[in-house]
Amino acid sequence: MVMGNFTGVWGIFEYMDETTETIEQIREKGVQPTVITPCPRHEIDHALGNPTTVLPWIALFFGALGCFVGYSLPAWTASDWVLPVSGKPILAIPPYTIIGFELTVLFTTIFTLISIALLGIIDSFRFPIPKAAKKYRRFQRDRFGVVVRCDAANLEQFETIMKSNGAEEVHVEK
Amino acid sequence: MGTASGYDPTAGKVIIDEHIGHPGIKATTLGYGEINDEMLAMLDKPHPSYYLLLLGFIMALGLGALSFAIQVDVGIGYSGISHPIAWGFYITNFVFWIGIGHAGTLISAVFYLTRAPWRTAIYRSAEAMTVFAVFTAGLFPLIHIGRPWLAFWLIPYPNERMLWVNFKSPLLWDVFAVTTYMSVSIMFFLLGLIPDIAILRDEAIRKGKKLKALVYAPLALAWRGTNHQWVHYMRGYLIFAAFATPLVFSVHSIVSWDFAMSSVPGWHTTIFAPYFVAGAIFSGLAMVLTVLIPIRAVFGLQDYITNHVIQSVSRVIIFTSIIVGYAYATEFFIGYYSGSPYERAIFYYRPFGEMQSWTLLGDNQLNFPQIAFWLMVFCNVIAPIPLWRWKVRNNPLAVWIIAALINVGMWFERFNIIGSSLQHEYDPASWGEYWPTIVETGVTIGSFGFFFTLFTIFVKSLPPMAIMELKEGTKPPMKNNVKKDGDG
Repeated sequence: MVMGNFTGVWGIFEYMDETTETIEQIREKGVQPTVITPCPRHEIDHALGNPTTVLPWIALFFGALGCFVGYSLPAWTASDWVLPVSGKPILAIPPYTIIGFELTVLFTTIFTLISIALLGIIDSFRFPIPKAAKKYRRFQRDRFGVVVRCDAANLEQFETIMKSNGAEEVHVEK
Repeated sequence: MGTASGYDPTAGKVIIDEHIGHPGIKATTLGYGEINDEMLAMLDKPHPSYYLLLLGFIMALGLGALSFAIQVDVGIGYSGISHPIAWGFYITNFVFWIGIGHAGTLISAVFYLTRAPWRTAIYRSAEAMTVFAVFTAGLFPLIHIGRPWLAFWLIPYPNERMLWVNFKSPLLWDVFAVTTYMSVSIMFFLLGLIPDIAILRDEAIRKGKKLKALVYAPLALAWRGTNHQWVHYMRGYLIFAAFATPLVFSVHSIVSWDFAMSSVPGWHTTIFAPYFVAGAIFSGLAMVLTVLIPIRAVFGLQDYITNHVIQSVSRVIIFTSIIVGYAYATEFFIGYYSGSPYERAIFYYRPFGEMQSWTLLGDNQLNFPQIAFWLMVFCNVIAPIPLWRWKVRNNPLAVWIIAALINVGMWFERFNIIGSSLQHEYDPASWGEYWPTIVETGVTIGSFGFFFTLFTIFVKSLPPMAIMELKEGTKPPMKNNVKKDGDG
């Protein structure tokens, strides 16, 4: 969906309990809202049905890749230019464990950071927010936002839910 | 400044329940908006004395840069490093600064995983210290090698020399360990900053400060605080903490193996890894207190960096001080018990000097390792003892003095290890003496200038406390103060 064509309702809440109540009532209608908060709250997560992320799997994959590179790079370079020292093995696994460990950590963290950014971008297309909500500057300060994307036919019911739960402002985007 | 109803500044008991809040931390009784205002007020135009302080640090940095320039111009021979002492002040500084960095990762990662609530107020500054300390440490191998423009030879890349680096060398392990640690520390620091920079961006727009908004907007990486972003962010933060935790213990272990893997008397011991890690945490936390206690006084942060926070850090300092003291004693015992005359000789030489006399204060000429040894014992083992008393821990000035002494002691510990063993290896014919030259002293002063310049700029350009985490730790705004089943 193109972000300029957003159809739905978004509301601003001062209190968290009103926000969670609104989320639960919206979810009862079969719609998953997007919630904007100044900080992460478990209460919001519970109301949203404890959403999960694929991030740990990405971290696991790149951690394993880092570990593989960490062992194989020294092994390959040792084989490429054989340098015998004091009768010690050419392919020495214990010292390579250090490189393996360091690259496991390095790969995991770099790709975790990249993935946080990329998943955020992907989600901004999957769950768009109206421009007016982006321009509202108190979500990073002290207000909670609930955004519902829906058909024109359902606008009224979500507007009613938000208003009945004490939203400070409710905006309908057609 | 916001209201603080229900705030009890004398409270010291920790209640680990974010819904109830921490009675010793004022932020837990403030609203979200008030936390924003208080934290952002710290970034207002500084007092003229700030610039004076910054100028002092920049001058120290300049002295270091000038000293380094002289060394590059004349050559590494201009330093005191010469046969048989190949490692002098530079490697001492390297180990010292890497150690300083450890406290930040300990506080931001290990105490995050163990859910220590007192970390919230200090972790951002400690993390910044880690980044700047590792930057500083990273300079020293480059300065030490004499021809820093050839430092890229340490990186394994296909080259026309047809050579690869030696992955079996502890020095190369160090390259990987320190660069990984630096990268992870920077990324962890930046990750924690993203939501706070979004706050700075939105507050700048809200207050009509367009230039500031323009600077902060790209740095905030389009952060909106949606539940989708938070779920990735929080899980990612946990992954970072989980991976940074073993890094805290591994980096200084690997640094210690630079020494322990050699056959030099006084270095070749298995105790080195835990001994170095404990020392790193010990010195790092001491530096955290050395820096944060004055900041707390200047910015009036007594309600955030409470006495309880200082006490908690002090307790970890006591714990690591015991480990460090025990390690000192063990080194001596093993030196004796090994039966090796070389080990016994080095552990006589460290405290007492040359074996010229049967009396401790005979005709021995005092030299640098002896000064370092006794300063190390006094500052690291004896000076922290008063911290056992609650009254001392509760007195920020007393804690600051002890922390500053620990910093001195830990620098001399590293010098004692490096200097003494290299001066007295196996063959008396190749024994030598080390005294630093003026360029080494200048570079050492410059390293402190570099670290404190970066930190001084940091405290006025980015929030020194994590605003998002302070909000997370406070009571959320609730209309009906009744918790539903399953909440929290």
